[in-house]
Amino acid sequence: MPESESPQVPEAIVCNACGADPRASASCRVCKGAGIGIPADEGFLVWNVIIDEITIALRKLRIKVNAIFHLSILSLIILFLGLFLAFTIRDFTYAEVQTLAFWTSGYWFITLFYLSVVLGAFFVFRLVEFTSPAKTLPGYLPVASKLKRQSSNVPTAIEVAPYFSPEAMEVVESAYRLAKDLHIVEITPEVLFAAVLTSRSGGLFIARLSMNFETVKDPLVRLLLSGSSGKPPISFSREAKRALAAAFDLANRTGRKYVTPMEIFLQSYLESEKLQDLIDRLGYPKSHMVHVAEWVLLQERLREDQHRFVELARFKPKSGMNRAMTAIQTSILDHFSEDLTLLARQGYLPQLVGNDTVVENMLRGLESGQSSVVLVGEQGVGKAALVEQLARLMVMEQVPEILFDKRLVSVNLAQVVAAGDSGLAAERLITMLHEVAISGNIVLALYGIEALVGSGSGPMDLAETFASEIEKGRFQVVATATPEAWTQYLERRRLGKLMVRVDIPHPDAEQTIRVLMAKSGQIEYKNHVFISYGALEKAATLSLRYLHDVAPPQNALNVLRETAVLTRKTKGENAVVTDSDVAKVVHEKTNIPVEMVTKEESDKLLNLEERMHGRVIGQDEAVVAVSRAIRRARAELREGKRPIANFLFLGPTGVGKTETAKTLAKEYFGDENAMVRLDMSEYQEQSSIGRMIGIPGDDRGGLLTEAVRKRPFTIVLLDEIEKAHPEILTLFLQVMDDGRLTDSVGRTIDFTNTIVIMTSNAGTSYIQSAVSQGESLDKIKTILLERELKSYFRPEFLNRFDSVIVFKPLTRDEVVQIAWLMLNSVVKALEAKSINFRASDIAVEELADAGFDPAFGARPMRRVIQDKIETPLADIILKNEVARHDTVVLNDDGSLSVQKAVNPY
Amino acid sequence: MIKLCYNTAMLQRSGALARIVFVDLIGSVIWFPVWWYTKGLKRFINWCYEGIVYRSKQYAFRVWIKNFFVPMYAQYDLTGRLISVGMRIAVISARAIALAIESLAYLFLIICWMIVPPLALTMALQNIFAGLF
Repeated sequence: MPESESPQVPEAIVCNACGADPRASASCRVCKGAGIGIPADEGFLVWNVIIDEITIALRKLRIKVNAIFHLSILSLIILFLGLFLAFTIRDFTYAEVQTLAFWTSGYWFITLFYLSVVLGAFFVFRLVEFTSPAKTLPGYLPVASKLKRQSSNVPTAIEVAPYFSPEAMEVVESAYRLAKDLHIVEITPEVLFAAVLTSRSGGLFIARLSMNFETVKDPLVRLLLSGSSGKPPISFSREAKRALAAAFDLANRTGRKYVTPMEIFLQSYLESEKLQDLIDRLGYPKSHMVHVAEWVLLQERLREDQHRFVELARFKPKSGMNRAMTAIQTSILDHFSEDLTLLARQGYLPQLVGNDTVVENMLRGLESGQSSVVLVGEQGVGKAALVEQLARLMVMEQVPEILFDKRLVSVNLAQVVAAGDSGLAAERLITMLHEVAISGNIVLALYGIEALVGSGSGPMDLAETFASEIEKGRFQVVATATPEAWTQYLERRRLGKLMVRVDIPHPDAEQTIRVLMAKSGQIEYKNHVFISYGALEKAATLSLRYLHDVAPPQNALNVLRETAVLTRKTKGENAVVTDSDVAKVVHEKTNIPVEMVTKEESDKLLNLEERMHGRVIGQDEAVVAVSRAIRRARAELREGKRPIANFLFLGPTGVGKTETAKTLAKEYFGDENAMVRLDMSEYQEQSSIGRMIGIPGDDRGGLLTEAVRKRPFTIVLLDEIEKAHPEILTLFLQVMDDGRLTDSVGRTIDFTNTIVIMTSNAGTSYIQSAVSQGESLDKIKTILLERELKSYFRPEFLNRFDSVIVFKPLTRDEVVQIAWLMLNSVVKALEAKSINFRASDIAVEELADAGFDPAFGARPMRRVIQDKIETPLADIILKNEVARHDTVVLNDDGSLSVQKAVNPY
Repeated sequence: MIKLCYNTAMLQRSGALARIVFVDLIGSVIWFPVWWYTKGLKRFINWCYEGIVYRSKQYAFRVWIKNFFVPMYAQYDLTGRLISVGMRIAVISARAIALAIESLAYLFLIICWMIVPPLALTMALQNIFAGLF
């Protein structure tokens, strides 16, 4: 079989001593005949076990023989003891048994007793040494390293097979059977991979990847059959040996007890590039496979951590009294609080994943002189989880000396403040803090510390009271606050200055996925569903991109939870939650099309120009440019760091600039009002920036920023941009370039899912005269950009547009079409009353002539239709001159007449 | 290559069979006494040691000694302090005695581990002979 390249496992080397020469390696002492292995701290890791029918049978035989042997010993012990007891009770009194003479008297059943004791000891020995499923890996944490690195230059070979769990051995054996069935002479990594896929752990992997086994089966078999064929004996290929040794290495490094099928699966996958290519072609990239393995490991690790926690939690007192017994009863505090350490001890608080640096910062803050910490982060970023983690660390006593033997108590601030009488609230607070100070073993946790501000009388509010108590340094506080609350209520006050601020950063997609991995078990258990990796990834990326009300990872968790519930309800229990399920939920929540593009939608997208022309007459260039931008966005080909598109629509009034934006909103966002529309004539003053992005100190935010924050997937339409104050244009430089804008509260608003359209009448007179002279659009645009617009906009502003689109003045034909279009809406209104409408071409052309004004484009048309059609029509209807099924006719002279319908009955 | 593999396979097969008979069944009978006084004894002593460590952690000696002069139940007056110190002396000594007794019990168990199997075997042999003659 040709040697394939495998850069993923570079540490694997050919044995130095024998150079993997088959003749030399058979007697090689370094690699024990394997020829290839992995140098590790424990030695030269090799796989040199031969698997065939006989060894498989012998392994099974050995397990059976041992089991029978143990059962026999146990039966003998029971039999011996039984006989001893039966004869002793029958023949001897209690007093006789107490004499030495009895025990040395030589009765055969007493001999049996002695033998049962010896057998018992032998049984203990057998249980300890012969019943473990496999050898324990040296890296397994609870056991000290047994295999020391050899000091001699010649590394000792370590046969990895004994460390393989029974399931892992079964996988290797089924790889043999698979090779035999397919008449392949070598067990390659691909064969190993296929063997794991068919095992139980492989099933887990397939489900996690939401892979369909049937789709993998055929290409995989074809790949396997490409290996050299023949009859047994079947040996392991070098790559397979390397993969098996690497599986040991991986399991050992990650602190596992035995090598499991999971490690074989991952390593054989990493070993074979062909396999990676095959799986990738089926739609599962390498990163997915590696992440799924990480997921399995993470859940394993969390389980182990939980065991360790339970072990250590036994030492923590069950009550409020500390172990040194220096504390006091805290009746007032107990009334308004909850003991988090106690909750953690009882196992009610979940484990924290990630955020290790923040935990470190928090502990350092508590250790520092200030001894009080405030965790600042957005809603949903995990402030409470961090406080709960502190409680868990305190239970395990894995905390700095200053927190040792203490309890973390969460005070319900709302309850304290809800006294009604502000004096009473302050009194309660002081009594509570007094108790805390005397007791000396309490760390206070305050969720949303800003609740203290303003509750109380006058300038001496609860925050001030609290600050004075903190200043005395008799207890520690861990508080939480949102960035807005911190800026608004705490930063400049004494309370804020007394506390160490610890920022909790937003997790990125990778970290969010890890949190979801950790929480997935709980969600699966609760909803009886199975979550695929695709679902996790989708939930993380979509939430980060589109859901901004709550910060990650909470928003992603919420989406995943909701999807799990929905999946159970729609697909039933034990269903798999897939990425498209998640996309559907996100779509419902945000109205943003995030699912895979369906056939129907792709047709719609490909024909967007045609559909838009149903409403926008002429202006081909604009329609094409806008349609292309949308298609790029939907195919996810854009960078993602700028808005979907930035357009500048230039042209005279009434030629369809706004109409194009509205049509786009209707066609793509489902509603013609799905846009943020700002008339820039209202933003001519510099002070109007405040209206747009908010005024400092006012947490309501600005008109533009709030609208986009709440609806990130939208059109931002800025009418008459030339009228805006230059400072506002500068503001938009950043939006158009970076796709973000910071509002007055300090929130960064994401504009990367918006389409920014600015319209302007600047240069209209030039456009009109140039068009009438028959200039080409390209030339008009060039002159506009180079000359006409210079007086309105700075060049760097104009450069940021993806497309500057010139809207031509309408031709007479186009105006006639618009007249027809507008008449259509009248027709539709009449249709609802079952009245028909008919108009002659001449009449409509006359309407068009009346409704077109070179200065205002087609804008007067609406008024003309209203005056000449709608008003007389209303009179006709009110006078009951028209009945159902009659036809209203617009005559050539512009008058309306009614044509009575013939009743056939 | 194939022949070599085959030979190794033969070796491994016979090795596996030999392992069942000689290591698992007969070998373990010979290994048992050696194991009992080396690896097994070490494991047993370790188990006893962990038991004592667990108990001493439970008794929280470190915390009690560190807080020796800190009054119990935050009774900072003189009487409180005096009673507290007295109480701490009493509790620490009582716990120390309890731990000592427990350690002795573990020691007894270790001695049992060492002498019971040979003693039982000797007694069995003695009994057989006593029965015969």
